[in-house]
Amino acid sequence: MLRRDFFKQAALIAGSAAVGSTTADADTTTHPVDNRKVADIAFPQKRPLITYSDRPPLLETPREVFTNPITPNDLFFVRWHMPMIPTYINPHYFSIKIDGEVEKPVKITVDSLKHDFEPVEITSVLQCGGNGRSAFHPTPGGIQWGSGAMGCAKWKGVRLNDVLAKAGLKKNASWIKFHGLEKPVYTKTDGFVRALELEKLHDKIIIAYEMNGEALPYLNGFPVRLILPGFYSDSWVKMLSNITVTDTKPKLHFMDHAYRVPDNECECETSDNLVPKTKPIEEMNVNSLIGYPTSGIQVKQGAKLIIRGVAFDGGHGIAKVEISTDGGTSWQEATLDDGTQGSYAYRSFRHTLMPKQAGTLSIMTRATNTKGETQPFAEDVKWNHGGYKYNGIDEVTVEVVS
Amino acid sequence: MRKWILIAVITAALITLLDAEENKAEIQKGIKMPYMAFPMKKGEGMYSTKGKCNMCHSWGYILNQGAQSKAFWRKKVIKMIDIFQAPIKNEDINEVVEYLYKNYGNGKEN
Repeated sequence: MLRRDFFKQAALIAGSAAVGSTTADADTTTHPVDNRKVADIAFPQKRPLITYSDRPPLLETPREVFTNPITPNDLFFVRWHMPMIPTYINPHYFSIKIDGEVEKPVKITVDSLKHDFEPVEITSVLQCGGNGRSAFHPTPGGIQWGSGAMGCAKWKGVRLNDVLAKAGLKKNASWIKFHGLEKPVYTKTDGFVRALELEKLHDKIIIAYEMNGEALPYLNGFPVRLILPGFYSDSWVKMLSNITVTDTKPKLHFMDHAYRVPDNECECETSDNLVPKTKPIEEMNVNSLIGYPTSGIQVKQGAKLIIRGVAFDGGHGIAKVEISTDGGTSWQEATLDDGTQGSYAYRSFRHTLMPKQAGTLSIMTRATNTKGETQPFAEDVKWNHGGYKYNGIDEVTVEVVS
Repeated sequence: MRKWILIAVITAALITLLDAEENKAEIQKGIKMPYMAFPMKKGEGMYSTKGKCNMCHSWGYILNQGAQSKAFWRKKVIKMIDIFQAPIKNEDINEVVEYLYKNYGNGKEN
């Protein structure tokens, strides 16, 4: 069983020029494609990352980075929707325009954000809704991400509510649209615009101008981006330039057609019977990833092997992370970090093993949050047409040598 | 004359201070995006497909969708035209779909 998965994975890696599976007829789930190589070329302000596209840039973080509860800026994943992204922004002239159903339309500069508002900091995971999509079969459309379309950073900025208060919301305000500077090639094409319902706003949603103590990298949204702790990254609009308040729900391609899952209990469907009613992906489910060891490495029999990784959910907090070395029959609790980064951050874990037998060793991790929600086995994750919200139990396979 | 030199020196110092504040050469000068080649599979319709799709995005965006059915590729091409204004004429849709399916297909019509 495990061996079969291992070889299936190896075959996928070998044929990774065109990823995806053509074999499975029924809807099945495996582990996401693992161990893809980073590109030869580094993007600006980044180290070389797994690169799916250069226009727009789509960059994935390799697995070994996820030993660290903070993802360094130059290793942080990148996902844009539109091909035209400004390559120069003067932060002294940049401003966010707030208009629509407000008392007084305003333009707020980055300097004003830094000096006229109370600064707030939050450490939060940023994860693409399609992270792990390559696990789903039949292959859903969209980039066939491995497990690294995610990261965790300390964001500093100001509360969205404080910024909106500056403009003053009119009584009929009900939705807030967010638009960044990325642009389509054709002017008639709708841009990447996202919207939030006013009643869902809370004080942890911020407009960030700092990421891990530095200005944001261009590719992560310099000079400012929206931060929605606990939610998938589709609404974390980068290079945020326009906030428009509306009195009705706006019609938007990237809200109405993309980033949606079946509106049922399991958020699942089958490829031959799609569920017509859908809902936005919104809150992240519980997940964990092993950063070390990575699959395919050799470790020494009888020597200490320290397993390290990260776990997170949509903000309820991680209660425990367990490790299994027998294919998921028995589980041992890993040691968690002190949790001082808060419940929206990665909770890093470690667990020491002493491999007794030479040969192939499988290592699995399973996180459980404070609500008691836990990760299913990879093959038990239910299919959906967008390939969203994958959160199967992670597994790496190493070779123990005597 | 001396007054102008002084003003120039003060201006230079101020600019240096601003530079230090930003602390990143990239922010001052902007970034240069690299080009990455995502080679297309050779086949009938390659050049015409390349011109139409690469107007807006890299070939990587297509090949990293995974192997897909003919119906999938047709739906995508139509979405690109309807939603994203891709410059593909009605009479050219079949050629693009055939090229995609032949080279990036999963062997299934639907």
